Amino acid sequence: MHETAIVAGLMRIITQQASKHGAAHVSRVTVKVGRLRAVEPQQLRACFEMFAEGTVADGAELVVEEIGVRGRCRGCATEFDVPRYHFQCPACAGNDIEVIQGQELFIENFEASSSPPPAVDPPLVPK
Amino acid sequence: MCDNCGCNLTDANRHALGAEEHHTIEVLENLLQVNDIQAGHNREHFDEYGVFAVNIMSGPGSGKTSLLEATIKALPPGVKVAVIEGDLETENDAERIRRHGVPAIQITTGMACHLDAHMVHGALHELALQGLDILFIENVGNLVCPASFDIGQHRNVILLSVTEGDDKPAKYPVMVHAADLALITKTDLLPYIEEFSVGRARDSFLGIKGQLPIIELSAKNGAGLEQWIAWLLAEVAKRRPAAAA
Repeated sequence: MHETAIVAGLMRIITQQASKHGAAHVSRVTVKVGRLRAVEPQQLRACFEMFAEGTVADGAELVVEEIGVRGRCRGCATEFDVPRYHFQCPACAGNDIEVIQGQELFIENFEASSSPPPAVDPPLVPK
Repeated sequence: MCDNCGCNLTDANRHALGAEEHHTIEVLENLLQVNDIQAGHNREHFDEYGVFAVNIMSGPGSGKTSLLEATIKALPPGVKVAVIEGDLETENDAERIRRHGVPAIQITTGMACHLDAHMVHGALHELALQGLDILFIENVGNLVCPASFDIGQHRNVILLSVTEGDDKPAKYPVMVHAADLALITKTDLLPYIEEFSVGRARDSFLGIKGQLPIIELSAKNGAGLEQWIAWLLAEVAKRRPAAAA
């Protein structure tokens, strides 16, 4: 469950940035996660839901955009999508491959509003 | 008032209709930035004293501590080492290392399944780096989480014991990809485990990282240890140019 440590980092960033921009409520957060990070999106979302409770991001949706692995062959410079962690060049069959995509782990943006979150409607009391 | 043109929107119902003012804030910040900055500081400490820091990773029970005990005995005299042990609980591993007269700091992570840069930094406060050649950091036994955290190491070593199955590397590709050296351990047990093929294990490693050096060894009977020791000494020499000259 290294996802908890990652979400702790995410919450730190959201709290800081929200206060810097005067945001009262965060409704949606988008993070980019490379497939070489061994991060499970579902666990990330579950963790986020827990950590966000009672914060500016309470109830916010966490969008996890997964980024596939791409490599560049050091032998022939071919760039290719790496299927199932099989690091072999499709052009020259070389196996000295530099990773050019798939190690990402960052928050891209979040949607915020300056007004507080919509309150649950109070029960209607007939006059 | 109608539902077509928005003339029914009032301050009272604007929220409910999702018509409030939303704006997107671009951030682009690394989620592990705090850890990565600390890891960079740890590495600076190691480099300042010319210490080679090596992160030892594997599943539980593949022989990390036994390997370290055998390594301590096999290193040439004059090579000074220390060990940081990471476990969820107990001081057992550090005690095993201390019996060999080597300083060992135990980090108990509680519920955390990996070491992070701050835990390692905390341990460094209890450890004198001066005069050290190698700092072994034995990570928590786990083939997934430790790979995600930079702790300031110079090299990652992954262990696969012959009792684990030769297809394990393919099952845990992220950690294999992060490795700089793979050790196939407990080779003394090979005669009893016919299911394990060293060839298949090698192919499994190399399918993920074609340039990964692989050493087969047994901490118990010492077979293959000399290659591991040679790899360590070469790394030490890189960080001690003055001493090597």
